[in-house]
Amino acid sequence: MHRVPPRFTPLAKTTIIDWNEGCLRCRRCVKEVCPVDAYKKRDFDRRQFVDTIDEMCRSCYRCVQGCPRELVFKALNPQYRQLGDDYYTPEIIGTTWYQAETGKIPVSGAGYGGAFAGEGFDSLWTDMSEIVRPTRDGIHGREYISTAIDLGRKPMFLVFDEAGALVFEPPPLLELPLPVVLAEPPLGADPQRLRQILVDAAQTLGTLTLMARKAVSPDLLDAAAALVPQFPPGDLNLNDPLLSEVRAIELADHPEVISRMEALKRRYPRLIVWIRVPGNHQAPDRVAALAAAGAEVIHLAATEKARGLDEASDLHLKDLIRRAHLKLVEKQLRDAVTLLASGGIALAEHVAKAIICGADGIIVDIPLLLSLECRLCRQCARNRKNPCPIELESLNIKRGSQRMVNLMGAWNNQLLEILGAMGMREVRRLRGEVGRAMFKEDLDKEIFAPLFARPEGETRRVGE
Amino acid sequence: MKTEVVIYACQQAVPNPDFLRTQWGQEDIRLLVLPEPCSSKIEAFQLLRTLATPADLVWVIGCAEDLCRYNEGSHRLGNRITYTQRYLKEIGLEPDRVGRTVVVPGDAPGLAAAVAEIKAKALALGPSPLKSMGEKGKREKPKK
Repeated sequence: MHRVPPRFTPLAKTTIIDWNEGCLRCRRCVKEVCPVDAYKKRDFDRRQFVDTIDEMCRSCYRCVQGCPRELVFKALNPQYRQLGDDYYTPEIIGTTWYQAETGKIPVSGAGYGGAFAGEGFDSLWTDMSEIVRPTRDGIHGREYISTAIDLGRKPMFLVFDEAGALVFEPPPLLELPLPVVLAEPPLGADPQRLRQILVDAAQTLGTLTLMARKAVSPDLLDAAAALVPQFPPGDLNLNDPLLSEVRAIELADHPEVISRMEALKRRYPRLIVWIRVPGNHQAPDRVAALAAAGAEVIHLAATEKARGLDEASDLHLKDLIRRAHLKLVEKQLRDAVTLLASGGIALAEHVAKAIICGADGIIVDIPLLLSLECRLCRQCARNRKNPCPIELESLNIKRGSQRMVNLMGAWNNQLLEILGAMGMREVRRLRGEVGRAMFKEDLDKEIFAPLFARPEGETRRVGE
Repeated sequence: MKTEVVIYACQQAVPNPDFLRTQWGQEDIRLLVLPEPCSSKIEAFQLLRTLATPADLVWVIGCAEDLCRYNEGSHRLGNRITYTQRYLKEIGLEPDRVGRTVVVPGDAPGLAAAVAEIKAKALALGPSPLKSMGEKGKREKPKK
């Protein structure tokens, strides 16, 4: 990892209002003692029409408090508040930019000023009971913590002949050094450049990148080993030359998907076939049925805001994963199949939380676009001809790839911190470990339900 | 050559910047709306540096002076606009390329009238004469 400075001035959370008229001309102006020399270094960003002072300011409030005429103010920056949407909030975008630039874990200062609990992943708290050891010893350079996962079908047992040789060829397995697969985001001003960046980042990270088959252009074939082409139902041609070059492909779920998978496996036995299952109410049963029928990797897909699809919009991705995982456990198939989850994975903590809920790994898309300084204005999604405010079309591929690598490095470091704080040595062991987490819904039921429960036979309380 | 307009909009005066964009409706003039915490966030150097970009008209929409959330903000911005216009006149540019409108916060008809005024001004002024003078705003290195 190495630092990749942004091409565009990142929008700051707060902004300085400087009323320099009426200045008393003090001998020692507060602007001269700015610890970061923001007033001396300030400039005007011609591309974004912003004063660069806000990006430099560290919000120490020295100038605000020190000016005798009270001519300097700080205010929340409305341009920052307009970033993203209700799910990919300005805070998520800001923290993603920081991680993509530095590759470091964001530190927000002492204490936590946010809400105690929230929706979705925020209603799940991880167990950090072993935090004393990493605090004392430090995570890095101590005992090795593995974040590697295996993708593929695992045999439930092995059979040996009398000579001690395996009776059957074990199915192919792919080991990824981190439990994250990259995927092409659903938007982006220059998709072709974005794909090149994704593939380059996947190669550097040693992971894979999901991409629609029709989007795989000849220039990406050099990196075929890092690609997982996606095929919509009925669009798979067994003579497709790409099938002999890639290590895995993804088929969208449909009634004949198992027969298509079997046909593929007969022709390309080393190919790992993923099946994309929409995250709706039928998903847990469908996942179990596919696993029973021999599926190798199942990709459970939610919306980009981590909600269930179709009529399951009331369900969060974590609940979908939990249900699918428990169904597999119930059918004694959990260890046979790999479960990947996608949709709304926006922060490093979501990786660990999705795994705690039962996924083996996650698929990330929109944060990869954010790592390239995207503001999620969605102008490109409305009309491809709209100018991109971060000029994605002129982004150098290596530069973009390094920012993605930095982001994934920062996420992996946070996963290591979480695993270390839990006293775990392997991310594989974290899968489905709900005992390592507390769910707010469960706690509410456990603690408050008995307090407010009506005694049997009581229909109305006094005062009701 | 396409005319470009930059509007700095106080967030109290213009709570919904998209309103300005939807009211614009002038395809041949590119509009950029930037929300600000107060119109007094914009300093004279920013107005001038904005004019040194491909922008042809720079406008600030703020609150009426007696309604400014920062008490003196809107008044100070008025003085800055006057100063900038005087400066533009001195260097031979039309002073009207910088302007401001004050509105009562939340007054939609007032904002619509402001948009109409800005549009009329942009059409009347046309592209900045700086555009025909080569690369705008580029500082030449001093010859040694």
